[in-house]
Amino acid sequence: MTLELQSVGRRFGENWILRQLDLSVNEGECVALLGASGCGKSTALRLIAGLDQPDAGQILIHGRRVDGIPARQRRIGMVFQSYALFPHLSVRNNLELGLKIRGLPVEERQNRISGMLDVVKLSAQADRLPAQLSGGQRQRVALARALLRDPLIYLLDEPMSNLDAQLRDELRPELKKLILNGPQPVIYVTHDQQEAMALADRIAVMRSGQIEQIGSPQELYDKPMTTYVAQFIGRPPMNLLEDDDVMVGIRPEHLYFDAEGMPCELINREWHGASQQFILNSPRGELQMISSGDTIVPERPTVAWKRDLEHRFSKSSGFRQ
Amino acid sequence: MNVLLALPALLLIALVFGWPMARYTWLSFHADSVLTGLVPIPNGGANWVRLLSDARFWQDSLQTARFAVMSVSLELLLALAIALLLDQRWRGRGAVRALTLLPWALPTTMMALGWRWIFNTPYGPLEQLAAALGLPSLNLLADPNFAWMATVAADVWKTTPFITLILLAGLQTIPADLYEAFRLEGGKPWQSLRSITLPLLTPYILLSLLFRLAQAFGVFDLIQILTGGGPASSTESLALYAYLNAMRFLDFGYSATVMLGGFLMLTVIIVLAAIALRSIGVLRPVK
Repeated sequence: MTLELQSVGRRFGENWILRQLDLSVNEGECVALLGASGCGKSTALRLIAGLDQPDAGQILIHGRRVDGIPARQRRIGMVFQSYALFPHLSVRNNLELGLKIRGLPVEERQNRISGMLDVVKLSAQADRLPAQLSGGQRQRVALARALLRDPLIYLLDEPMSNLDAQLRDELRPELKKLILNGPQPVIYVTHDQQEAMALADRIAVMRSGQIEQIGSPQELYDKPMTTYVAQFIGRPPMNLLEDDDVMVGIRPEHLYFDAEGMPCELINREWHGASQQFILNSPRGELQMISSGDTIVPERPTVAWKRDLEHRFSKSSGFRQ
Repeated sequence: MNVLLALPALLLIALVFGWPMARYTWLSFHADSVLTGLVPIPNGGANWVRLLSDARFWQDSLQTARFAVMSVSLELLLALAIALLLDQRWRGRGAVRALTLLPWALPTTMMALGWRWIFNTPYGPLEQLAAALGLPSLNLLADPNFAWMATVAADVWKTTPFITLILLAGLQTIPADLYEAFRLEGGKPWQSLRSITLPLLTPYILLSLLFRLAQAFGVFDLIQILTGGGPASSTESLALYAYLNAMRFLDFGYSATVMLGGFLMLTVIIVLAAIALRSIGVLRPVK
């Protein structure tokens, strides 16, 4: 196990913002901590980095306890949400500062930096200040700085959230190539389930300081253990229909128009070309539905779904049945 | 168009700064004293010639510069330390922050009277302390070699809070995650002072230096009350000398010349400093 969190807890006053957190991450694995803001995912990241200290439990890197070891000695490569580039230093000096602190000789520093600038395609911008770079370029400087740290673990704190949607799509493969495919484990904090699905080997869905469910993206999608996970994973979220003491969950993509089905009223239709998205009003509540772009909407829509694709949760506890 | 938009501000500056400066300049080329019956009479450059050979003017210039440089550098060092302390999180910080500002909120005349009492011989606390320790009487304000230090001490006490305030505001603009990134890069806390805090604080340091140097160069009220310029003119500043010329010798022409002379010197110093700072890259040209 490269990284292990054992019943880690953190509280502010009487309020535990992380409770009994257990997490093991293997060599080369990328685990996404996914959750709404305030769920404790960033706190967990800061504890691993050593920027904050746990009130309970322990953290191990390569089998060695690190809680108590200062952040500067943990060999962590972190990418901050804001990128945290030093605003008064050029790209080159931003990358050099850490190497200088760690006592690398001048020649080696220069070699490693120019090599890294090539990798992140910023050689032409080496002498610019962060303020003179685009958002995507800034992110690449932050990635380069983390890579030059030669870390045992990568920690990425919402690295995409300051970029527009198109840039995010462009940068994902780059992020994979630079960091995620390496041998070091990666912890990736995000509130964007799509990003987590696209990048992570496993996703830990967090809620009020605890891991609600952890598993591969496919596992979370196919077998969500609670209604919270069911609605957090997948866009648009899973439809939940009440049925006595059970909540029946149906994914929007598993609904289809069928003459034998439940009569509905079409409230909204968005056509996206390859797919289209409907909002329907049914006797059992509002339904979200996705189908292929060429589906023809019947004049009186009636929808159905395959029984074996539905999920069943306890109405009182929200747990999968 | 741009000039038009700036017109109200320019008019205001012309009114409160341009007009008095023009008036002073005009006056400095006139004899206007009791001897002329307070009627301005053009005297060519006689005032300026007199200024250049006036030993007291040059002596006061040096004394003013000594006061300004000593007090402002002490204030800067102290304020930096206090601001760094007040930027940390600790219990009771809010109250201490408010208390720190108090000396600056006091009117100078009041605090100067207080300091005169502290230095009073033989009844002031300082003398009492010296006596209790078995030391000889200091009699600081009566010693031409040391009285200027008393003026510096009082000024440092009063205006350190002002610089602290500016530097504290500057410290709070530095995002915490820069320090965190620096730690993760392997940096120790004291290293971050040099690598992050000071470079990012530089504009605020320069700003407070500019404010304070200009202010300290024109110091009047503090010295007037604390020492009156004495003993033996050893603490006299340029502003005090100009005041003396106008109000005691009733020589308004020469007073204006002294005033302008000091102003020109300060301007030259600041321009030279700006050029020097720009050439080492601390100041960036405004675009």
